[in-house]
Order: sequence, then C-alpha cells, then structure tokens
Amino acid sequence: MNNEMLGIILAGGQGTRLGKLTKDTAKPAVPFGGRYRIIDFTLSNCANSGVNTVGVITQYQPLELNAHIGNGASWGLDDLNGGVTVLQPYSSTEGEKFFEGTAHAIYQNIEYIDQQNPKYLLVLSGDHIYKMDYDAMLAYHKAKKASLTVGVIPVTKQEARRFGMMNTDETDRIIEFEEKPEHPKSDKASMGIYIFNWPTLRDYLVKSYATDKSLEDFGKNVIPSYLAHNESVYAYAFKGYWRDVGTIQSLWQANMEFLSPHNRLNIGDRNWRIYSKAQVLPPMFLTDTSQVNNSMIVDSCYVAGEVDHSILSQRVSVGMGSRVVDSMVMPGATIGKNVVIDHALIGEEAVIGDDAIVQGTPTEIAVVGYNEVVGVQQP
Amino acid sequence: MKRGSVSAIINLVEPWEALEPLTTSRPVGTLPFGGRYRLLDFPLSSVINAGIQNVMVTTPRSGRSVADHLRSGRDWNLDTIRGGLFTYPYNDLKLVSPEKKATLIHHYYDNTILFLKRSHSEYSVVMSTRNVGNIDLKALIRYHEERDNPVTTVYKSVDPQTLTPANTILQLTDKGMATAVVPAGKAKLKATTKKAAKNMDIYLMSTVDLIDILQEANRRGDLISLEELMKQAVIQHNANAFEYTGFYANIHDLASYYAANMAILDEDNFRALFYSSRRIYTKVKNEIPTFFAQGSQFRASLCGTGGYIEGQVDHSVIFRNVLINRGSQIKDAVIMQGTRIGAGTKIEHVVIDKNVVIGPNLVLKGRPDQPLVISKGQHIFQQAEVVSSD
Repeated sequence: MNNEMLGIILAGGQGTRLGKLTKDTAKPAVPFGGRYRIIDFTLSNCANSGVNTVGVITQYQPLELNAHIGNGASWGLDDLNGGVTVLQPYSSTEGEKFFEGTAHAIYQNIEYIDQQNPKYLLVLSGDHIYKMDYDAMLAYHKAKKASLTVGVIPVTKQEARRFGMMNTDETDRIIEFEEKPEHPKSDKASMGIYIFNWPTLRDYLVKSYATDKSLEDFGKNVIPSYLAHNESVYAYAFKGYWRDVGTIQSLWQANMEFLSPHNRLNIGDRNWRIYSKAQVLPPMFLTDTSQVNNSMIVDSCYVAGEVDHSILSQRVSVGMGSRVVDSMVMPGATIGKNVVIDHALIGEEAVIGDDAIVQGTPTEIAVVGYNEVVGVQQP
Repeated sequence: MKRGSVSAIINLVEPWEALEPLTTSRPVGTLPFGGRYRLLDFPLSSVINAGIQNVMVTTPRSGRSVADHLRSGRDWNLDTIRGGLFTYPYNDLKLVSPEKKATLIHHYYDNTILFLKRSHSEYSVVMSTRNVGNIDLKALIRYHEERDNPVTTVYKSVDPQTLTPANTILQLTDKGMATAVVPAGKAKLKATTKKAAKNMDIYLMSTVDLIDILQEANRRGDLISLEELMKQAVIQHNANAFEYTGFYANIHDLASYYAANMAILDEDNFRALFYSSRRIYTKVKNEIPTFFAQGSQFRASLCGTGGYIEGQVDHSVIFRNVLINRGSQIKDAVIMQGTRIGAGTKIEHVVIDKNVVIGPNLVLKGRPDQPLVISKGQHIFQQAEVVSSD
C-alpha cells in the first residue's frame, strides 16, 4: 500500500432530479461555474488534500465523465504511485457488478479497494460544490480513534427534513441517526462524506452480502448498523461553503452564488485551486455591440449581445440584440440574435434560434437540454 | 503521414534588439501574443497539426522562459513514447567566451545533426517564431514532394509598402522558383511592383540533405545561424516557393508586434488564425472565469481567463489574470498576464508587459505607429514615472 487513505467518489447516480440535463450524462459531469464540471470540486479537494489514489465509481451514462477524467493529469492525479481509476461495472463469475445503493457500490468494487489495500477509505459524492481538506478530517478521525467519521454541515430545521441528521453527544460521537426527520434533534446534516477504517467496513460488507444483503446504503443501512454494533462513529463538522446541486433549482442557485465576488467558496484562492480538464481554446471575443455586467465569461466565448448576471461556459456564442439574464449557459451552446434568456439553465451544445424566448422565474428555472434546438425553423 | 517521417526544428535564435524591452529577458519566441499565446505556439501548433512528433527547439540563452512554457511538451502532445520535444539552449554566440568559441569550431552543429540522425525522419522543416500564421505543413510537404528542387521555402504575398528594409523577401523566377532570400532594402523592387514575396523563414528539405548542409558547415568551421545556412541553401540549390495565403503577421520591432496584436482584433483575422481546422495549442492553465463587474464595458476586445474587469476596455488585447479597476479607460492596448491597472487611469496605444502595476489616475499614451511600452514587473504610481514613447 502506498497511500494510507484511498478516495472513492460515488459518481454512478442517475441524478433524475436534474431532469433533461442528466438525460445523457452522469450528474457529476454536469458543467458548473463556466469552466468546471461538478466532480472537479471533489477531485481537486482530493488532489489538494494529498489523496493521490482515487477510484471513481460510475454506472449511469459514464462516457462524458470518463472523457473528462482521462488519466487524471488535469488534477495532477496521474501519480506514479496512484492516480485516478474510473471503475465501471463489469461481469465476473459471481455475476455482473452493477449496484443499487452507495454501500453496495463499494462492495461491488471490493477487488479494486483490496488491490490498493488502504488503512482508511474516504467515501465521497461527486455532486457537491465545496472546498474541503480531507487530510484534516483524517487527522480528526485518528484523534477520535473512530471507526467511522461522518462529515456534517449545519442546516436549519427546515432544511433538516431533506437530510440524514446526526444526533451527537458532547464529544461529537454520533449516538443516533435520523433520515429526513420531521422534528430534527440536531442541526448536523450528513454531507455524504465518510472516512471508514477499511478492514472494519470490509468485514461488515462481506458478512452482509454473504447473508441478508442488507447493507445497501451508507445512510439508510450502514450507519444504523454501525451504531447498533456500538462502533465509534463521530461527526466532523465542516464550516465552509457547501452546496448539494442535485436539483435544477439548487444547481441554478449555486451558479448564481458562484457569480458573486464575495461568494464564500472563494474560487480565486490560489492555495486551494479547483482544477478542471483544461482545453486549448482561443481567448474570449467581445464585439463592439456587447454589453456585459456582473457576469463570468471564459475562453472561446463570442459575445455580441447583452449578458447580465450570468455565466457563459466555453465556446458559447451570444448573437447581436440578445439578452442573457440570471442564467447559466453550458459549453458550446449557440444563442442566436434577438433572443431572450432569463432565469434559465441552457444545456451543452443547445441551439437557440433567432428571436426565441427562454423565460424562467426565480422559482421555476427554465431548462434547455443538451443538444436541444429551440426556435429554429426547420426548412 | 507515417509516424516519425518528419522532424521539425523551431529556431528561437532570432533578431530581438528592435523588440526591447519586451525581449530583454526572453527570446522572441516566448513573446506573449493574442491574449494567451506565445509566438512559439504558432509554429509549434503547425508542427503538431501535421502530426510531427520529433521537435527540437533551439534557444539563444538558458531558455528558462521556453522551458517553463513547454515543460514536457504535454500540452502539445509531445510527451510521446517516440521522438518528443528536445530543447537545445545557449546558441547565442555573443554570450560565448572566445576560448569556448574556439572549441565550437567544427562542432557548432553537432547537437542538431545528432537530433536529425536520431529522428530517422525523411524530411525536416526549419521554422522561426517571428512569423505568426497557421500554416498547413502537410500541404507544404505534398508541394515539396511534387517538385524537383531540394529545398522548399514559404512566402506570403504582401504589398511592398509594408516592408521594412530589413524584412527579407524571396526572389522568384517567372516560374515561381526562389533563387535567393534578400533584404527588401537591397531587392531593388520597382516602384510599380504591387506584390512582394515576404519570406516566412520556413525551409523544408530531406533530412539527409539538411544533415549534409550542417556537416559541410562544420567542416568549414562555420559559426553562423541555422537561418543563414538555410538562405545559403536557397541560393545554392534554388528552392520551390510555396505561397501561404492565411493570416500572417511579421514581428520584427515594437510597432509590428503591436500592429499584429491589433490585427487579430479584426474578427476575420481572429477567426482565420484561431478557428481553422488546425488549432493553436498553448500551455494550459487553470484560471477561473473572467468576471465583468457591474458598470464595466468591454468592447471589440479579446480577454483571457482569470481577469477582473471593472473599467472600460475598447479594442484591446487583454491577457490572463489582468485586473482593470473601476473608472479606468483602456483603448488600443495590449496588456499582458498578471498586470493591474488602477482606478481612473487612461491608457491608449500602450503595450504593458507581464505583472506590471499601474497606479490610479495616471495617463499612459503612445502613438498608433509607436506604442508606449511598459516593461515587465514595473510598478508605476506617479505620472512622472511614465516615459512617453516620443
């Protein structure tokens, strides 16, 4: 074993709540913030935390994600002694290694994890926007002599109804777990980030899948089972900016927050950079008819219209007389002339024809899917 | 094209004096250009786009900026199992002591010969970096194969009025064969001549012939530049002359460097150079998106990522990571990576090198034909510190 802690990113979920945007791609591959994809945050956190061996478990529509991750070089993870491995279901004499829940996904990849033989297993989601030092969490895990440490984030009582909530004692040891409680007893919501002592988790999983196969999901099954068996489970409180971008509304919201120069994420911090697959593209070109305010624009964009409080990703063009407001436009989308785009998420390579209107509201964000064509007259 | 059949030498030993202060601490080849590139990216991209994987880059001095830019060659796909990127530093003989120089006689071209022999390539192309273009080297090789002369040169047809006396042109026969490369000042062009064949300093020949030329030069004890040897070869053997018709800019002094940057602000030029089927590669960096603040105005301009724009920018080339504060007015300017412009400062016809800090409420003004140049890393906070370009 060359690395003490192995990172596993769960990137196999379908992300049905992102609707059209995840019809043909995995949620972690969805573009974010102009030049990132959602998984970049987790991968960069791994790289910055010194977690140099990372397995990315995929299942649903993995092609775009695979192409994005490549050999991990973009994150400096093409390490001689580690690196990124994309783990896809495969068939074996025991059957096919597709999986249902989060814990099952780990069980189905037990051979890869055994190959790495880590002491600790860091389990991560590929669909969160945040900057976090997993090495600090590992230090906490060791100091507490924990069997499992769960990353938690403070939430309001209202929000708690959407999360798995951790009730702790005064030493931050988790004594109770409640899934989406109506009346939450604490404000500590699980971030879906776990550090396990691998040999222990391995035993639990192997026993379970040899018998009742009950340990399908970490939140629903593994944590309750650990608590029932009196394993030492601790909560690690994360205080930074963290957003789950699993819905259209939250994805749009996080993008709008990203636009603010005062966003707590602090994307410009050079001590904790977020890396992405770098593409070689020409600089952005803004014409003499452009009007851009409060917006983020990246390489190879072409703007002849108005962009207000919006994010344009790579290779987006905005024609003359068009207005893009409070929106996020994904890579390669073409926006014609005299178009209005307001409160919208525009999918990759979408084409919005001249004079079209894509109008959403702050509570009902309009979505144009990948490669979707809007308002173009067919000859 | 079969893998490994062509090798390329990109020669950064070029005239740099007229580009000072921009070339005080870098070769011409690493001059920033077009918002996120270095001049050397253009020939290197042409080489990559033709599938050439044996590349030697010769540099005048230590080549720190070259090595920093190219590193393993990964961003150009040159970290391959065969061939790859070779750099060959310290070729500027002005920096070499007389004793060292004496030992170089009969050995000056050894490294280049070794590179060429090990490449096992059939053809070799020698390129410079002060000619910005996006040339199809595959077409050049086809052209060469279809013709009889051992050397093929490349030219751009230009209006003779645009040439300086030091620019070199090809002397062409009626059948379009090049017989010599001569400075425009000595070419005795007729006043009525509408077109001149501006030499692009690109030479293609068989690798065996190039090795012969270099070995012959070693035997004679020559210590002259590769480019000079190429020009001699044209005179000696005559050359096929291939006409390049794409976007072209020749960079030989500050005015032409500035003009070339302004030229790509023309949308047609910009598209011709950057959006052809042959991409321009450069070192990739992880910059954040550029933020355009409320009240900013950014028009008819290029911008790299990582920028923060609050002021007004018109008809300018803005590189990566540039900060332009509120109330500043930038017009017809080239502002390189990492530079900061203070609030209320007015800038017109100016080239600002990397990591410069210009304080608030200053006026920096050059002329269209003679830009004001602020050299790398300067911090200017007083109007008196601004030296005009006149």
